[in-house]
Amino acid sequence: MTSALSAEGLHTYYGKSHILHGVSLEVAEGRITALLGRNGAGKTTTLRSLMGLTQAREGKITIFGEDTTRWPTFRIAAHGVGYVPEGRRIFANLSVEENLKVPLERGGPWTIERIYKLFPRLAERKQNRGRQLSGGEQEMLSIARALLLNPRLLILDEPSQGLAPLIVREVFRIVQQMKAEGISVLLVEQNARMSLEIADDAYVLDDGAVVYSGTARELAADDARVRALAGASAEEWTLT
Amino acid sequence: MMTQLLLFNVTNGLIIGAFYVLMALGLSLILNLSNVINFAHGGFLVIGGYIAYTITPYIGFWGALLLAPPLTAIIGLAVERVLIRPLYGRDPLYSLLLTFGLAFMIEDGTRFIWGPQGKPVTIPAFLAQPLSNDLFFITGYRLFMVVVVMIAVALLFLLLRYTRLGVRIRAGTLDLETVAALGINVGMLRSLNFAVGIFLAGLSGVLAAGQLGLEPTMGTGLLMPSFIAIIVGGIGSLPGTLIGGLLIGVASGVTAVFFPAASEAVIYVMMAVILLTRPRGLFGEEGMMS
Repeated sequence: MTSALSAEGLHTYYGKSHILHGVSLEVAEGRITALLGRNGAGKTTTLRSLMGLTQAREGKITIFGEDTTRWPTFRIAAHGVGYVPEGRRIFANLSVEENLKVPLERGGPWTIERIYKLFPRLAERKQNRGRQLSGGEQEMLSIARALLLNPRLLILDEPSQGLAPLIVREVFRIVQQMKAEGISVLLVEQNARMSLEIADDAYVLDDGAVVYSGTARELAADDARVRALAGASAEEWTLT
Repeated sequence: MMTQLLLFNVTNGLIIGAFYVLMALGLSLILNLSNVINFAHGGFLVIGGYIAYTITPYIGFWGALLLAPPLTAIIGLAVERVLIRPLYGRDPLYSLLLTFGLAFMIEDGTRFIWGPQGKPVTIPAFLAQPLSNDLFFITGYRLFMVVVVMIAVALLFLLLRYTRLGVRIRAGTLDLETVAALGINVGMLRSLNFAVGIFLAGLSGVLAAGQLGLEPTMGTGLLMPSFIAIIVGGIGSLPGTLIGGLLIGVASGVTAVFFPAASEAVIYVMMAVILLTRPRGLFGEEGMMS
């Protein structure tokens, strides 16, 4: 199995605070890898390090065979990494259509027309400003924007945050669809149970270090661990 | 007589306002995307004017009008790459001090190259004629300047609204990090945006040279009102900057009729009043084109 992304021994700091203590993980090509953990475990920092937004001081990141450890963010994205940040970060003053014009045109199956077919709601609201959208629509827009890069690897940071259960299911179905399209996925979630239903592999992060790595199925079977993960999460749903 | 005087000064104000608008839009673009308060902007206006002065004998006024702004933009690009780029991400005070010093260097540099005396720039004869006897104060050139400014402003707004570059610049003013995460080279985006801003300064320089003649210090006089245009219009809003520029131009023109001594002070008073009643400026809100 080839890996889309591998990180070895990442140490990341915010100023003097040491946040990641040697995080290593791997995202296998064509699979969904879930990165779970409680609030403040270092999940978002891990993703920011992988994207070059907060560069790791130590460690090595390889994405599709290239050492990207010191690459600037835009180059990592242009290498085929779509990133859906925490809190969606859509451009609030720009229309939906304008939001979709921001990503680099890398060439590939995803075009704005195809995005509108996948997300008809965005097509209906294409003249609306980002700030006028509901949370679910903003999440769709954030995913759509990342897809327009035609990524080979999609990194999602808490896509279910603050969304109604019905919308969360929709988001997770789209993530599964991306896998079916051959896109590798790294999914950070607090919603452990639901993530494990769609993930192939899983990592658990605690206090800036990996405390579990294995298949999602094994982790899902470990009821006590899953319950401990869910401890900090207010709501838990299943796909069915 | 009074009506004509008033009309004369309102027209004058509008023309000066058009200069403020061109300058202030460039300043605003650079401030919004890169957080750089470009004190050297007036210097780039001077560079544009002197380039036009130098090349006019060879390619004529029209050639200079077309060529001087892009040449100024290229100089601006070099300055951005070498001097300003290393300061991105630092306290805006650094770039403010740098451009402040740069303004002096440009002023002395032009004095060194072209001499301290003012230089006249020849404009085509037909543009120098007044429109009519009644409207003796409106020359063809003044009207021409306003039309050029209007075209430049319209093109800028079209660029920002309908091209990917423009949309990315606007997105960058809201969240540069996310723009980078979408594969856009934000260093390049900042450079292009800076070049567009300096292009507008260069264009103002050519236009101003034809109207006022050239002096190494001419940029300084236009810079402060341009900053005030941005503040009055609301930082972050380009339409606000546009209206702010015209407003302070006209206010200063009208005051010149009734109370000439206060014609300069009035724009500062206006700024104070607007900031007291609406601290974000007339159209100020997050992001531009709002």
